[in-house]
Amino acid sequence: MINVLFFGPVVERIGKNALEVGYRADMTLQELRDELALHYPQAFEIVCFFAVNGQHVRDLAMPLADNSEVTFMAKFSGG
Amino acid sequence: MKDAVRIQQEDFSQDEEILALKASSRRMGGIATFVGCARDFSEGRDVAEISFDAYGSMAVSEMKQLRSDAIAKFSLLDARIVHRICTVTAGDNIVFIAAGAEHRVAALEACRWMIDELKLRVPIWKKETTPQGETWVVAHP
Repeated sequence: MINVLFFGPVVERIGKNALEVGYRADMTLQELRDELALHYPQAFEIVCFFAVNGQHVRDLAMPLADNSEVTFMAKFSGG
Repeated sequence: MKDAVRIQQEDFSQDEEILALKASSRRMGGIATFVGCARDFSEGRDVAEISFDAYGSMAVSEMKQLRSDAIAKFSLLDARIVHRICTVTAGDNIVFIAAGAEHRVAALEACRWMIDELKLRVPIWKKETTPQGETWVVAHP
């Protein structure tokens, strides 16, 4: 299972702050992103950062491990 | 002593943070601080309050890395970063950053660099409540 987290403006567009996606062997971050973007296109319009297990990831070809925590994030506005 | 990097609901004391910074070294000759606070006006609208959401564990991890990077990049003696995650109104404190160095130039440059990097790297989001409704803030320059 992949645990997907959302925060701030992305939560507002998806309507929830987390969901679970079934794990598949050789699944990449790009595949997960594309799958979710089909269901939540408005949310993914503003997603521009990705994290896996709390670390920034810039290479969407990154393979995911089972039980990964994946976060799709909008531009930050702290400070 | 409180951690040098924290997110918290409650306000922070600038005096306590500066004392903690100074306690780390007697070689410190310059301390620069930045305090970000809430405004009552933004993008042409009145702002009644500001609330925050954060990916807490990653935010703290990124802030710790940011502090370490600043210490290395500017040869600081110490640095501290505190960000509130709560609801604030005009005049309330939001974020505190302090850089301590042997001399002023490194402290001033590091302080500016840390707040700029925090806005780019740290997963925190700000929502403003205005008479027109609630709006998630697009990052400010």
